[in-house]
Amino acid sequence: MDWEKFLALWCAVWAVLALAGYGMALAGVTRAQRTVRRTGRIEQVRMPRHGGSRTGGISVVISYRDATSDEEVTVTNDGERGEVITAAWEGREVGVSHPRGRPHAYRLANTPQEPSRGLGQPAFALFLFYCGLVALVAVGWGWPWALIGLGGPLAVFAAVHLPGTVRAKNHRIEKLAAMDTVHGRIIAVLKDVTVDQDNGTSTTITPVLSFTTHDGTAVTAHCTSNLPDPAGSYGRDVTVHYAPGDLADFTLDRAAERRGEKLDVVVNALAVVVLLGAAVVGMAML
Amino acid sequence: MTLTVGAPPRHHAPADLASGFLTAGVIGAGLTAFIGGCMVESVPMLVTGLVVPALYGLLFLLVKLPRRASEAAVVPCRALAVIESREPVWGETSDVPVRFDLSVVPDDAPAFRVEMWQDVNRVELTEYRSGGTVVVEYPPDRPWRTRIVRRPTPQWEERAAVARVASVPGPVVRSETPDSSLNGFLNLSGLLLGVAAVLLLFRADLFDFHEGGNGAVPGPSVSSSSSTITVTSMTGTVAIGPGRSMLDESELRRGVESLTQGADKRRAFTVVVQDRLLTVVFTPAGAKVAGFEPRSLPYDRVADLVEEARTTLNVDSPRSWQLIAESATGPLRLRVVVTGDGGTGTLEADGKGEVLRRNGS
Repeated sequence: MDWEKFLALWCAVWAVLALAGYGMALAGVTRAQRTVRRTGRIEQVRMPRHGGSRTGGISVVISYRDATSDEEVTVTNDGERGEVITAAWEGREVGVSHPRGRPHAYRLANTPQEPSRGLGQPAFALFLFYCGLVALVAVGWGWPWALIGLGGPLAVFAAVHLPGTVRAKNHRIEKLAAMDTVHGRIIAVLKDVTVDQDNGTSTTITPVLSFTTHDGTAVTAHCTSNLPDPAGSYGRDVTVHYAPGDLADFTLDRAAERRGEKLDVVVNALAVVVLLGAAVVGMAML
Repeated sequence: MTLTVGAPPRHHAPADLASGFLTAGVIGAGLTAFIGGCMVESVPMLVTGLVVPALYGLLFLLVKLPRRASEAAVVPCRALAVIESREPVWGETSDVPVRFDLSVVPDDAPAFRVEMWQDVNRVELTEYRSGGTVVVEYPPDRPWRTRIVRRPTPQWEERAAVARVASVPGPVVRSETPDSSLNGFLNLSGLLLGVAAVLLLFRADLFDFHEGGNGAVPGPSVSSSSSTITVTSMTGTVAIGPGRSMLDESELRRGVESLTQGADKRRAFTVVVQDRLLTVVFTPAGAKVAGFEPRSLPYDRVADLVEEARTTLNVDSPRSWQLIAESATGPLRLRVVVTGDGGTGTLEADGKGEVLRRNGS
């Protein structure tokens, strides 16, 4: 009885929060709707110092046009400024956003952002409400309902996304095949040492790659995968494959990328099977 | 722009200390209630452990919201500053805390001295030598929150490269280092008080569980202040103290579990439950009587069945009740006998607690 009361309270709280969130979105007062979004452009890329820190990403100077005054504003990615920029070249377009009337609280994004209605949080509240509802039903009618209630809708959700994942994989494999190849160099290796209460010190090594595309754009990027012995890679020449349409999309090992893409599809398909299986088992046990 | 140079930051105001104390108390109480609730399977404790911290967090957020909003609305000022001195505290990490003494010279406000701490990467430390010029940023109403801008814009970078910034004498604005001993003492006290409050509030749930849990294991008979458990080869009884009743689902469940725990989970021939007494007659070892698993009793139905027997069997002023569970003649049957001034009534139910028949007086 007590569990049911607790679950009912849980459902009520999240339902109220979800309704409030959707109401705010309709009224146009969510944080996302009060955010001013502009497209900025990287004007200058500052070279990282070998042995320095990767915190804050690659140091860049960004300019964008202010929404109200239409003046050119220059900012840098100093301090906590949203997404960390790990691939930079002069002319790259990035997203700059700030709360209305507070341009000093700007935040950056790796790609220019579309206006958002801020439905993420209410959707999450709705999901928690639904989980509570399933638990309530499971307590009242028997636990197989938990398998049906969660496995069924999630299986449908995963199944709906499966074709998209397959398309994305095919698109990505085509993109990998169409990549241009150039020579690059590891121009710095960044080292971050933090102290962990349990395991003593922990070191993160981040090599920084620099390459110039066929059309002469110099790209500087953190390169954290497919590079053997990253700690000793300073000054090493490497072969870089990059997508001409998006220079942030580069790799040192195309075959490994292809394998990773196939894994995505397998994981998605497996999720559908497992969730569907859970729902079927639940129905069989009723 | 006006600047009150030397305005002491109001750290450790009683409100800050009280907030730390209260937060520690809620953390202690929440954790104790949650862990205790998991151990004794008490829903009220579990709910307390989850709801109290959540409500407190929400309240804390709402109280702090106006202050945070007003602080976030303040446009920070940028200025050039000269490093008077710096003292890194070397450690194992790549970012080391550095104490800076800066002379800050804003363009349109009086210059001031500030002492502050900032983490600097040890490779970049050479950029911040004494006498060097840096770009700083600070909220105009809280100059002690000055911080060095690691990545200034090109315009400020050029200004810092060519400017000659003079030192500023006089009072240093400093962000007071927390008085960790007082803070720590208060937080620890809050934490312990929170733990103690929960232990006191739920003492019945917590300590009865402990007594019941230990009761049947060590020997044939164990007494405690609130329950007496006796186990022999043939029977087991649990007598509970005043103020408690076997009608409480958890009490009955605990009683049965304390008699049937251990490797040899014995089957029961008969289980008799009275208001403060539980008796289990075990099936004799090697006997051909099947018996039943006493833990399979419908505990959640016992209180309802007794209530139904007291109210629907036309027994005047029912005084006592007794529930007998046995399976000697077939499937498990429950019989509730209610005795009152006007005679006796019997209600029979099946193993799931569904009523089969009623015999009034």
